[in-house]
Amino acid sequence: MASETALRGILLCKSYAHYPVLTQVSLSVYAGECYALFGANGAGKTTLMKILSTLLSPTSGHVEILGCHGANQKAEARASLFLLGHGTQLYDDLTALENLQFALGLRGLSPSMSEMKSALDRVGIGPFARYRSRDLSAGMKRRLAIAKVWLARPKVLLMDEPYAALDVAGIEMTHDLIRDARRREAAVLFTSHDVDRAARVADRAGTLQNGRLEETPSPAPRSKTDARVN
Amino acid sequence: MRELINVIYWITWKDLRCELRNRENLAAMLFFALNILLVFSFSFAMDDLTAILPGLIWTAFGFTSIVGLGRSFVPEVQNDCVEYYQILPVHKGAIYLGKLVGNLVFMTLVGLALVPLLVLFFNIDLGGATWILLLIFLAGMAGLAILGTLFSALTSRIRAREVMFPLLLLPLSVPVFIGAVEATRGALAGDPLPLYRHWIDLLLIFDGIFVIVAFWISELILDD
Repeated sequence: MASETALRGILLCKSYAHYPVLTQVSLSVYAGECYALFGANGAGKTTLMKILSTLLSPTSGHVEILGCHGANQKAEARASLFLLGHGTQLYDDLTALENLQFALGLRGLSPSMSEMKSALDRVGIGPFARYRSRDLSAGMKRRLAIAKVWLARPKVLLMDEPYAALDVAGIEMTHDLIRDARRREAAVLFTSHDVDRAARVADRAGTLQNGRLEETPSPAPRSKTDARVN
Repeated sequence: MRELINVIYWITWKDLRCELRNRENLAAMLFFALNILLVFSFSFAMDDLTAILPGLIWTAFGFTSIVGLGRSFVPEVQNDCVEYYQILPVHKGAIYLGKLVGNLVFMTLVGLALVPLLVLFFNIDLGGATWILLLIFLAGMAGLAILGTLFSALTSRIRAREVMFPLLLLPLSVPVFIGAVEATRGALAGDPLPLYRHWIDLLLIFDGIFVIVAFWISELILDD
Protein backbone atom coordinates (compact mmCIF):
# COMPACT_ATOMS: atom_id res chain seq x y z
CA MET A 1 0.00 0.00 0.00
CA ALA A 2 1.33 3.41 -0.92
CA SER A 3 1.94 5.59 2.10
CA GLU A 4 0.67 9.04 1.13
CA THR A 5 -3.03 9.73 1.46
CA ALA A 6 -4.06 11.66 -1.63
CA LEU A 7 -7.77 11.98 -0.97
CA ARG A 8 -9.50 11.80 2.36
CA GLY A 9 -13.08 12.29 3.40
CA ILE A 10 -13.50 12.56 7.15
CA LEU A 11 -16.84 11.88 8.86
CA LEU A 12 -18.79 13.26 5.94
CA CYS A 13 -22.50 13.82 6.48
CA LYS A 14 -24.91 15.23 3.93
CA SER A 15 -28.63 15.78 4.23
CA TYR A 16 -31.08 17.09 1.66
CA ALA A 17 -34.06 18.75 3.37
CA HIS A 18 -33.45 16.75 6.56
CA TYR A 19 -33.16 13.53 4.57
CA PRO A 20 -29.76 12.06 5.39
CA VAL A 21 -27.92 10.83 2.30
CA LEU A 22 -24.50 10.31 3.86
CA THR A 23 -23.91 9.51 7.50
CA GLN A 24 -20.38 9.82 8.87
CA VAL A 25 -18.68 8.49 5.77
CA SER A 26 -14.93 8.31 6.03
CA LEU A 27 -12.80 7.32 3.10
CA SER A 28 -9.13 7.46 2.16
CA VAL A 29 -7.57 6.88 -1.21
CA TYR A 30 -3.81 6.62 -1.34
CA ALA A 31 -1.44 7.84 -4.01
CA GLY A 32 -1.10 5.16 -6.67
CA GLU A 33 -4.29 3.45 -5.58
CA CYS A 34 -7.63 2.90 -7.27
CA TYR A 35 -10.79 2.74 -5.19
CA ALA A 36 -14.12 1.57 -6.61
CA LEU A 37 -17.31 2.85 -5.07
CA PHE A 38 -20.49 0.84 -5.45
CA GLY A 39 -24.05 1.41 -4.35
CA ALA A 40 -27.61 1.20 -5.58
CA ASN A 41 -29.26 4.09 -7.42
CA GLY A 42 -29.80 6.94 -4.98
CA ALA A 43 -27.32 5.52 -2.48
CA GLY A 44 -25.37 8.80 -2.53
CA LYS A 45 -22.43 7.93 -4.79
CA THR A 46 -22.67 11.09 -6.87
CA THR A 47 -23.23 13.19 -3.76
CA LEU A 48 -20.10 11.70 -2.22
CA MET A 49 -18.12 12.32 -5.43
CA LYS A 50 -19.26 15.93 -5.50
CA ILE A 51 -18.30 16.44 -1.88
CA LEU A 52 -14.90 14.81 -2.38
CA SER A 53 -14.29 16.99 -5.42
CA THR A 54 -15.18 20.14 -3.40
CA LEU A 55 -18.18 20.85 -5.64
CA LEU A 56 -20.63 20.35 -2.80
CA SER A 57 -20.25 21.28 0.84
CA PRO A 58 -20.94 18.51 3.32
CA THR A 59 -23.41 19.15 6.14
CA SER A 60 -20.57 18.16 8.44
CA GLY A 61 -17.14 16.61 8.10
CA HIS A 62 -14.43 17.69 5.72
CA VAL A 63 -12.32 16.68 2.77
CA GLU A 64 -8.55 16.75 2.32
CA ILE A 65 -6.89 16.59 -1.07
CA LEU A 66 -3.13 16.07 -0.96
CA GLY A 67 -3.13 17.54 2.51
CA CYS A 68 -5.14 20.63 1.57
CA HIS A 69 -8.41 21.31 3.35
CA GLY A 70 -11.29 21.08 0.85
CA ALA A 71 -13.10 24.12 2.26
CA ASN A 72 -10.33 26.38 3.55
CA GLN A 73 -7.76 25.72 0.82
CA LYS A 74 -10.06 25.15 -2.11
CA ALA A 75 -7.79 26.51 -4.82
CA GLU A 76 -4.81 24.43 -3.68
CA ALA A 77 -6.98 21.35 -3.29
CA ARG A 78 -8.50 21.76 -6.74
CA ALA A 79 -5.20 22.37 -8.51
CA SER A 80 -4.42 18.66 -8.58
CA LEU A 81 -7.97 17.36 -8.98
CA PHE A 82 -9.93 16.25 -12.01
CA LEU A 83 -13.56 15.14 -11.98
CA LEU A 84 -15.09 13.24 -14.84
CA GLY A 85 -18.74 13.54 -13.99
CA HIS A 86 -21.97 12.34 -15.57
CA GLY A 87 -21.79 15.11 -18.19
CA THR A 88 -19.05 15.17 -20.78
CA GLN A 89 -18.16 18.81 -20.05
CA LEU A 90 -17.75 19.43 -23.78
CA TYR A 91 -18.96 22.26 -26.01
CA ASP A 92 -21.04 21.10 -28.96
CA ASP A 93 -19.76 23.83 -31.27
CA LEU A 94 -16.08 23.23 -30.65
CA THR A 95 -14.20 20.50 -32.48
CA ALA A 96 -12.65 17.62 -30.56
CA LEU A 97 -9.25 19.31 -30.74
CA GLU A 98 -10.63 22.68 -29.70
CA ASN A 99 -12.41 21.12 -26.74
CA LEU A 100 -9.09 19.69 -25.57
CA GLN A 101 -7.30 22.96 -26.21
CA PHE A 102 -9.92 24.92 -24.27
CA ALA A 103 -10.24 22.58 -21.28
CA LEU A 104 -6.49 22.30 -20.83
CA GLY A 105 -5.86 25.96 -21.58
CA LEU A 106 -8.17 26.91 -18.72
CA ARG A 107 -5.92 24.91 -16.43
CA GLY A 108 -2.87 26.73 -17.73
CA LEU A 109 -1.72 23.72 -19.76
CA SER A 110 -0.71 24.11 -23.37
CA PRO A 111 -0.20 20.72 -24.97
CA SER A 112 1.17 20.73 -28.49
CA MET A 113 -1.02 19.79 -31.43
CA SER A 114 0.81 16.49 -31.79
CA GLU A 115 0.24 15.66 -28.12
CA MET A 116 -3.47 16.36 -28.47
CA LYS A 117 -3.72 14.34 -31.66
CA SER A 118 -1.91 11.44 -30.08
CA ALA A 119 -4.29 11.58 -27.09
CA LEU A 120 -7.22 11.44 -29.50
CA ASP A 121 -5.59 8.54 -31.34
CA ARG A 122 -5.10 6.81 -28.02
CA VAL A 123 -8.82 6.92 -27.26
CA GLY A 124 -9.67 5.90 -30.81
CA ILE A 125 -11.16 9.12 -32.16
CA GLY A 126 -8.11 10.51 -33.94
CA PRO A 127 -9.87 10.64 -37.34
CA PHE A 128 -12.59 12.80 -35.78
CA ALA A 129 -10.22 15.43 -34.36
CA ARG A 130 -11.72 18.19 -36.48
CA TYR A 131 -15.33 17.13 -36.06
CA ARG A 132 -17.54 19.26 -33.89
CA SER A 133 -18.44 17.64 -30.61
CA ARG A 134 -22.15 17.78 -31.56
CA ASP A 135 -21.40 15.41 -34.45
CA LEU A 136 -19.82 12.77 -32.23
CA SER A 137 -21.73 9.88 -30.67
CA ALA A 138 -22.23 9.64 -26.92
CA GLY A 139 -19.46 7.06 -26.65
CA MET A 140 -17.07 9.18 -28.70
CA LYS A 141 -17.79 12.19 -26.51
CA ARG A 142 -16.98 10.07 -23.51
CA ARG A 143 -13.71 9.05 -25.13
CA LEU A 144 -12.93 12.70 -25.80
CA ALA A 145 -13.48 13.42 -22.12
CA ILE A 146 -11.04 10.60 -21.33
CA ALA A 147 -8.50 12.19 -23.69
CA LYS A 148 -8.73 15.33 -21.57
CA VAL A 149 -7.67 13.36 -18.52
CA TRP A 150 -4.79 11.73 -20.44
CA LEU A 151 -3.40 15.17 -21.15
CA ALA A 152 -4.22 16.80 -17.82
CA ARG A 153 -2.48 14.03 -15.81
CA PRO A 154 -4.15 14.95 -12.49
CA LYS A 155 -2.82 13.67 -9.18
CA VAL A 156 -6.33 12.91 -7.97
CA LEU A 157 -8.85 11.58 -10.45
CA LEU A 158 -12.53 11.14 -9.65
CA MET A 159 -14.81 9.45 -12.18
CA ASP A 160 -18.55 9.12 -11.78
CA GLU A 161 -19.85 6.12 -13.71
CA PRO A 162 -16.93 6.09 -16.17
CA TYR A 163 -18.29 3.10 -18.09
CA ALA A 164 -21.48 4.89 -19.08
CA ALA A 165 -22.01 5.03 -22.88
CA LEU A 166 -18.75 3.19 -23.56
CA ASP A 167 -18.33 0.04 -25.61
CA VAL A 168 -15.95 -2.74 -24.61
CA ALA A 169 -12.96 -1.04 -26.25
CA GLY A 170 -13.89 2.23 -24.55
CA ILE A 171 -14.06 0.52 -21.18
CA GLU A 172 -10.63 -0.96 -21.80
CA MET A 173 -9.36 2.56 -22.55
CA THR A 174 -10.79 3.74 -19.25
CA HIS A 175 -8.94 0.91 -17.54
CA ASP A 176 -5.73 1.92 -19.35
CA LEU A 177 -6.28 5.46 -18.10
CA ILE A 178 -6.67 4.21 -14.53
CA ARG A 179 -3.59 2.01 -14.79
CA ASP A 180 -1.59 4.91 -16.19
CA ALA A 181 -2.77 7.13 -13.33
CA ARG A 182 -1.71 4.54 -10.79
CA ARG A 183 1.67 4.12 -12.43
CA ARG A 184 2.37 7.81 -11.95
CA GLU A 185 1.20 7.59 -8.33
CA ALA A 186 -2.12 9.34 -8.83
CA ALA A 187 -5.12 8.39 -6.74
CA VAL A 188 -8.24 7.24 -8.56
CA LEU A 189 -11.75 6.95 -7.19
CA PHE A 190 -14.62 5.88 -9.38
CA THR A 191 -18.22 4.83 -9.01
CA SER A 192 -19.77 1.97 -10.89
CA HIS A 193 -22.53 -0.58 -10.90
CA ASP A 194 -20.37 -3.05 -12.77
CA VAL A 195 -18.64 -4.90 -9.96
CA ASP A 196 -16.88 -7.41 -12.18
CA ARG A 197 -15.37 -4.82 -14.50
CA ALA A 198 -14.40 -2.50 -11.66
CA ALA A 199 -12.64 -5.35 -9.89
CA ARG A 200 -10.17 -5.59 -12.77
CA VAL A 201 -8.58 -2.27 -11.87
CA ALA A 202 -9.59 -1.47 -8.30
CA ASP A 203 -7.29 -2.11 -5.35
CA ARG A 204 -10.04 -1.54 -2.83
CA ALA A 205 -13.77 -1.12 -2.96
CA GLY A 206 -16.58 0.16 -0.80
CA THR A 207 -20.33 0.07 -0.96
CA LEU A 208 -22.64 2.88 0.04
CA GLN A 209 -25.75 1.61 1.72
CA ASN A 210 -28.22 3.47 3.91
CA GLY A 211 -25.88 6.45 3.94
CA ARG A 212 -22.94 4.49 5.29
CA LEU A 213 -19.83 3.27 3.55
CA GLU A 214 -18.87 -0.32 4.08
CA GLU A 215 -15.41 -1.23 2.94
CA THR A 216 -15.67 -4.45 1.02
CA PRO A 217 -12.92 -6.68 -0.10
CA SER A 218 -12.34 -6.08 -3.80
CA PRO A 219 -14.73 -8.44 -5.60
CA ALA A 220 -11.82 -10.20 -7.21
CA PRO A 221 -9.01 -9.44 -4.78
CA ARG A 222 -5.65 -8.83 -6.33
CA SER A 223 -2.55 -6.98 -5.32
CA LYS A 224 -1.73 -3.61 -6.76
CA THR A 225 1.17 -5.15 -8.67
CA ASP A 226 -1.13 -7.69 -10.27
CA ALA A 227 -3.57 -5.02 -11.25
CA ARG A 228 -0.79 -2.97 -12.79
CA VAL A 229 0.37 -5.89 -14.88
CA ASN A 230 -3.14 -6.30 -16.21
CA MET B 1 -3.20 37.47 -11.90
CA ARG B 2 -1.75 35.40 -14.74
CA GLU B 3 -4.26 32.61 -14.06
CA LEU B 4 -7.06 35.17 -14.08
CA ILE B 5 -6.05 36.58 -17.48
CA ASN B 6 -5.55 33.05 -18.81
CA VAL B 7 -9.12 32.05 -17.86
CA ILE B 8 -10.59 35.29 -19.28
CA TYR B 9 -8.69 34.71 -22.53
CA TRP B 10 -9.84 31.10 -22.97
CA ILE B 11 -13.47 31.75 -22.13
CA THR B 12 -13.61 34.68 -24.53
CA TRP B 13 -11.86 32.53 -27.16
CA LYS B 14 -14.39 29.76 -26.67
CA ASP B 15 -17.44 32.05 -26.72
CA LEU B 16 -16.34 33.88 -29.85
CA ARG B 17 -15.49 30.64 -31.64
CA CYS B 18 -18.80 28.96 -30.70
CA GLU B 19 -20.90 32.00 -31.54
CA LEU B 20 -19.22 32.72 -34.86
CA ARG B 21 -19.81 29.07 -35.73
CA ASN B 22 -23.48 28.72 -34.75
CA ARG B 23 -24.51 32.42 -34.85
CA GLU B 24 -27.54 31.59 -32.69
CA ASN B 25 -27.33 34.60 -30.40
CA LEU B 26 -26.02 37.04 -32.98
CA ALA B 27 -28.78 36.18 -35.45
CA ALA B 28 -31.49 36.34 -32.77
CA MET B 29 -30.23 39.71 -31.51
CA LEU B 30 -29.84 41.20 -34.96
CA PHE B 31 -33.28 40.21 -36.23
CA PHE B 32 -34.95 41.27 -33.00
CA ALA B 33 -33.27 44.69 -33.21
CA LEU B 34 -34.18 45.03 -36.88
CA ASN B 35 -37.79 44.28 -36.05
CA ILE B 36 -37.91 46.89 -33.31
CA LEU B 37 -36.34 49.55 -35.53
CA LEU B 38 -38.72 48.79 -38.38
CA VAL B 39 -41.75 48.99 -36.08
CA PHE B 40 -40.51 52.27 -34.60
CA SER B 41 -39.74 53.75 -38.00
CA PHE B 42 -43.30 53.11 -39.14
CA SER B 43 -44.89 54.17 -35.85
CA PHE B 44 -43.51 57.67 -35.41
CA ALA B 45 -43.69 60.75 -37.57
CA MET B 46 -40.23 61.48 -38.94
CA ASP B 47 -40.40 65.22 -38.29
CA ASP B 48 -40.94 64.87 -34.56
CA LEU B 49 -38.26 62.44 -33.52
CA THR B 50 -35.73 64.62 -31.72
CA ALA B 51 -37.31 64.21 -28.30
CA ILE B 52 -37.97 60.50 -28.45
CA LEU B 53 -35.11 59.23 -30.61
CA PRO B 54 -32.65 58.53 -27.75
CA GLY B 55 -35.39 56.55 -26.01
CA LEU B 56 -36.11 54.57 -29.17
CA ILE B 57 -32.43 53.80 -29.70
CA TRP B 58 -31.89 52.55 -26.16
CA THR B 59 -35.14 50.61 -26.13
CA ALA B 60 -33.86 48.78 -29.21
CA PHE B 61 -30.40 48.24 -27.71
CA GLY B 62 -31.78 47.27 -24.30
CA PHE B 63 -34.29 44.68 -25.42
CA THR B 64 -31.89 43.28 -27.98
CA SER B 65 -29.37 42.80 -25.18
CA ILE B 66 -31.92 40.89 -23.12
CA VAL B 67 -32.40 38.45 -25.99
CA GLY B 68 -28.68 37.75 -26.22
CA LEU B 69 -27.65 37.96 -22.59
CA GLY B 70 -30.43 35.74 -21.31
CA ARG B 71 -28.97 32.75 -23.14
CA SER B 72 -25.37 33.58 -22.36
CA PHE B 73 -24.84 30.84 -19.76
CA VAL B 74 -27.00 28.18 -21.38
CA PRO B 75 -24.06 26.45 -23.13
CA GLU B 76 -22.24 26.31 -19.80
CA VAL B 77 -25.04 24.36 -18.18
CA GLN B 78 -25.38 21.92 -21.07
CA ASN B 79 -23.16 18.86 -20.65
CA ASP B 80 -22.28 20.04 -17.12
CA CYS B 81 -19.55 22.35 -18.44
CA VAL B 82 -20.07 24.60 -15.45
CA GLU B 83 -18.84 21.74 -13.22
CA TYR B 84 -15.50 21.98 -14.99
CA TYR B 85 -15.36 25.70 -14.23
CA GLN B 86 -16.26 25.13 -10.61
CA ILE B 87 -13.30 22.85 -10.09
CA LEU B 88 -10.80 25.24 -11.64
CA PRO B 89 -8.41 26.57 -9.01
CA VAL B 90 -9.11 30.21 -9.86
CA HIS B 91 -11.44 32.93 -8.61
CA LYS B 92 -14.76 32.42 -10.35
CA GLY B 93 -14.82 36.13 -11.15
CA ALA B 94 -12.41 35.26 -13.96
CA ILE B 95 -15.11 33.12 -15.56
CA TYR B 96 -17.56 36.00 -15.19
CA LEU B 97 -15.13 38.43 -16.80
CA GLY B 98 -14.47 36.03 -19.68
CA LYS B 99 -18.21 35.73 -20.34
CA LEU B 100 -18.59 39.50 -20.00
CA VAL B 101 -15.94 40.23 -22.62
CA GLY B 102 -17.60 37.81 -25.05
CA ASN B 103 -21.05 39.30 -24.46
CA LEU B 104 -19.76 42.82 -24.85
CA VAL B 105 -18.16 41.92 -28.18
CA PHE B 106 -21.44 40.44 -29.48
CA MET B 107 -23.50 43.38 -28.25
CA THR B 108 -21.08 45.85 -29.77
CA LEU B 109 -21.14 44.02 -33.10
CA VAL B 110 -24.94 44.04 -33.17
CA GLY B 111 -25.08 47.66 -32.01
CA LEU B 112 -22.63 48.78 -34.67
CA ALA B 113 -24.60 46.88 -37.30
CA LEU B 114 -27.66 48.88 -36.27
CA VAL B 115 -26.01 52.29 -36.69
CA PRO B 116 -26.41 52.47 -40.50
CA LEU B 117 -30.04 51.39 -40.08
CA LEU B 118 -30.65 54.09 -37.48
CA VAL B 119 -29.18 56.68 -39.83
CA LEU B 120 -31.29 55.31 -42.67
CA PHE B 121 -34.62 54.88 -40.85
CA PHE B 122 -34.50 57.94 -38.60
CA ASN B 123 -32.35 60.26 -40.65
CA ILE B 124 -29.94 60.78 -37.76
CA ASP B 125 -27.15 63.26 -38.27
CA LEU B 126 -24.19 62.02 -36.25
CA GLY B 127 -22.33 65.18 -37.14
CA GLY B 128 -19.30 65.84 -34.98
CA ALA B 129 -20.62 63.76 -32.11
CA THR B 130 -19.55 60.39 -33.51
CA TRP B 131 -16.82 59.72 -30.94
CA ILE B 132 -18.83 60.87 -27.96
CA LEU B 133 -21.79 58.80 -29.16
CA LEU B 134 -19.47 55.82 -29.46
CA LEU B 135 -18.32 56.34 -25.88
CA ILE B 136 -21.92 56.61 -24.66
CA PHE B 137 -22.84 53.53 -26.65
CA LEU B 138 -19.95 51.50 -25.21
CA ALA B 139 -20.55 52.67 -21.64
CA GLY B 140 -24.28 51.92 -21.88
CA MET B 141 -23.76 48.53 -23.49
CA ALA B 142 -21.11 47.70 -20.90
CA GLY B 143 -23.59 48.51 -18.12
CA LEU B 144 -26.19 46.20 -19.62
CA ALA B 145 -23.61 43.48 -20.27
CA ILE B 146 -22.22 43.69 -16.72
CA LEU B 147 -25.64 43.16 -15.16
CA GLY B 148 -26.89 40.80 -17.85
CA THR B 149 -23.91 38.45 -17.60
CA LEU B 150 -24.25 38.32 -13.83
CA PHE B 151 -27.98 37.57 -13.88
CA SER B 152 -27.54 35.12 -16.71
CA ALA B 153 -25.15 33.15 -14.48
CA LEU B 154 -27.53 33.47 -11.54
CA THR B 155 -30.57 32.22 -13.44
CA SER B 156 -28.82 29.66 -15.65
CA ARG B 157 -29.74 26.71 -13.48
CA ILE B 158 -33.27 27.63 -12.50
CA ARG B 159 -36.35 26.44 -14.32
CA ALA B 160 -38.00 29.86 -14.67
CA ARG B 161 -34.88 31.35 -16.28
CA GLU B 162 -36.74 33.18 -19.07
CA VAL B 163 -39.03 34.86 -16.53
CA MET B 164 -36.50 35.61 -13.84
CA PHE B 165 -33.77 37.04 -16.06
CA PRO B 166 -35.63 40.17 -17.26
CA LEU B 167 -37.27 40.55 -13.85
CA LEU B 168 -33.84 40.89 -12.28
CA LEU B 169 -32.11 42.78 -15.07
CA LEU B 170 -34.63 45.48 -15.97
CA PRO B 171 -35.12 47.17 -12.59
CA LEU B 172 -31.40 47.29 -11.87
CA SER B 173 -30.54 48.60 -15.31
CA VAL B 174 -32.77 51.69 -14.94
CA PRO B 175 -29.75 53.95 -14.14
CA VAL B 176 -28.03 52.70 -17.30
CA PHE B 177 -31.05 53.49 -19.45
CA ILE B 178 -31.54 56.93 -17.91
CA GLY B 179 -27.86 57.83 -18.18
CA ALA B 180 -27.56 56.51 -21.73
CA VAL B 181 -30.76 58.18 -22.96
CA GLU B 182 -29.90 61.56 -21.44
CA ALA B 183 -26.32 61.51 -22.68
CA THR B 184 -27.43 60.40 -26.16
CA ARG B 185 -30.02 63.19 -26.21
CA GLY B 186 -27.35 65.78 -25.40
CA ALA B 187 -24.90 64.42 -27.98
CA LEU B 188 -27.49 64.16 -30.77
CA ALA B 189 -28.77 67.67 -30.04
CA GLY B 190 -25.23 69.01 -30.39
CA ASP B 191 -25.13 70.36 -26.83
CA PRO B 192 -21.74 71.27 -25.36
CA LEU B 193 -20.23 68.26 -23.53
CA PRO B 194 -20.31 69.85 -20.01
CA LEU B 195 -24.12 70.01 -20.26
CA TYR B 196 -24.52 66.23 -20.37
CA ARG B 197 -21.16 64.97 -19.18
CA HIS B 198 -22.57 64.04 -15.76
CA TRP B 199 -24.75 61.40 -17.47
CA ILE B 200 -21.67 59.85 -19.03
CA ASP B 201 -19.99 59.96 -15.62
CA LEU B 202 -23.02 58.18 -14.16
CA LEU B 203 -22.66 55.41 -16.74
CA LEU B 204 -18.94 55.01 -16.14
CA ILE B 205 -19.31 54.99 -12.34
CA PHE B 206 -22.18 52.49 -12.59
CA ASP B 207 -20.05 50.24 -14.81
CA GLY B 208 -17.07 50.48 -12.47
CA ILE B 209 -19.03 49.70 -9.32
CA PHE B 210 -21.06 46.86 -10.76
CA VAL B 211 -18.19 45.13 -12.50
CA ILE B 212 -16.38 44.93 -9.15
CA VAL B 213 -19.52 43.77 -7.31
CA ALA B 214 -20.29 41.20 -10.00
CA PHE B 215 -16.71 39.91 -9.97
CA TRP B 216 -16.92 39.12 -6.27
CA ILE B 217 -20.49 37.81 -6.34
CA SER B 218 -19.54 35.41 -9.13
CA GLU B 219 -17.51 33.38 -6.66
CA LEU B 220 -20.72 32.71 -4.71
CA ILE B 221 -22.88 32.10 -7.76
CA LEU B 222 -20.54 29.86 -9.71
CA ASP B 223 -18.89 27.98 -6.90
CA ASP B 224 -21.86 26.28 -5.27
